[in-house]
Amino acid sequence: MAKGEYLGEFEHFVLLTILRLGDGAYGAMIRAEIERVTGRSPVIGAVHATLERLERKGLVSSWTGEPTAARGGKAKRHFKIEADGLSALKNARKALERLHAGVSLRNATV
Amino acid sequence: MSPPALAQALVAAVTPTNDYEFVSGDLHEEYLRIMYLSGAKVANRWYWAQVLLSIPSLLSYSRSNKSALRHIGVALIALIVLAAMVGVVLVIDTVFQADPIPSWVWFCVNWTDALIFGAILARLVRTDGVRVAFSAALFLVLCFVTPAVAGNPHSQAPLLAWILLWGVIPAMCIGAGLYQAIRCRIDSVN
Repeated sequence: MAKGEYLGEFEHFVLLTILRLGDGAYGAMIRAEIERVTGRSPVIGAVHATLERLERKGLVSSWTGEPTAARGGKAKRHFKIEADGLSALKNARKALERLHAGVSLRNATV
Repeated sequence: MSPPALAQALVAAVTPTNDYEFVSGDLHEEYLRIMYLSGAKVANRWYWAQVLLSIPSLLSYSRSNKSALRHIGVALIALIVLAAMVGVVLVIDTVFQADPIPSWVWFCVNWTDALIFGAILARLVRTDGVRVAFSAALFLVLCFVTPAVAGNPHSQAPLLAWILLWGVIPAMCIGAGLYQAIRCRIDSVN
């Protein structure tokens, strides 16, 4: 994998969240899920900027939904993970597992 | 109930045109949820925090497939327009140095200047004019504010001067927005 193909931490979060939520995840839903699961509270702008970057890399794809009254008559942009996105997640997980192998955090001291 | 109008205008100014509907829709949806759970005051505070903290992220990307060269071109145009804008103000300042003009005239001159240059910038960049005008105006204001604050932490600049300076941002955005609205109207007539 070239340097630019590695996932950043927040890209990793967003991709995993889309996978958790299934096809049709959208900005507000992704933001709320990241907040609920990790306790980290990202801003909506960061979520959209990351989604745009992931789409440009071909890791996710998007389509436009119908406008709803609950959104002030505005449409949603839905996202789904692509095959490249799934393999990027697998590679990231393998890399983390290799790094963690043989390291015991329980006995670690600083 | 709807989110604060000024914050919504800020979202419209900084979001790429193609993404505005989705970003503002997402914010609106969460705003309503928080309002029902915690009340309008908490929801308004949440909305403002989201918008202000999102500005760097929203300004940093664009969905259109424009080359890096075009982005550099837009940045150069913005800088030239800003230099022209500062130049006009300096010329007026020099002309009226001997006989100081009243502050309200000074406000009109500066903000009209910003309005016109906002429209010129929107004409030059063609797409995302308000967004580019916002970035350019913010850059200009920070160019003045940063040295003033860094040089003197207890800066005693009069309040009117700060209002005059920060007012350049909405004035340039309004200029760019007006140009875009007029162009849309002309295009729809044709």
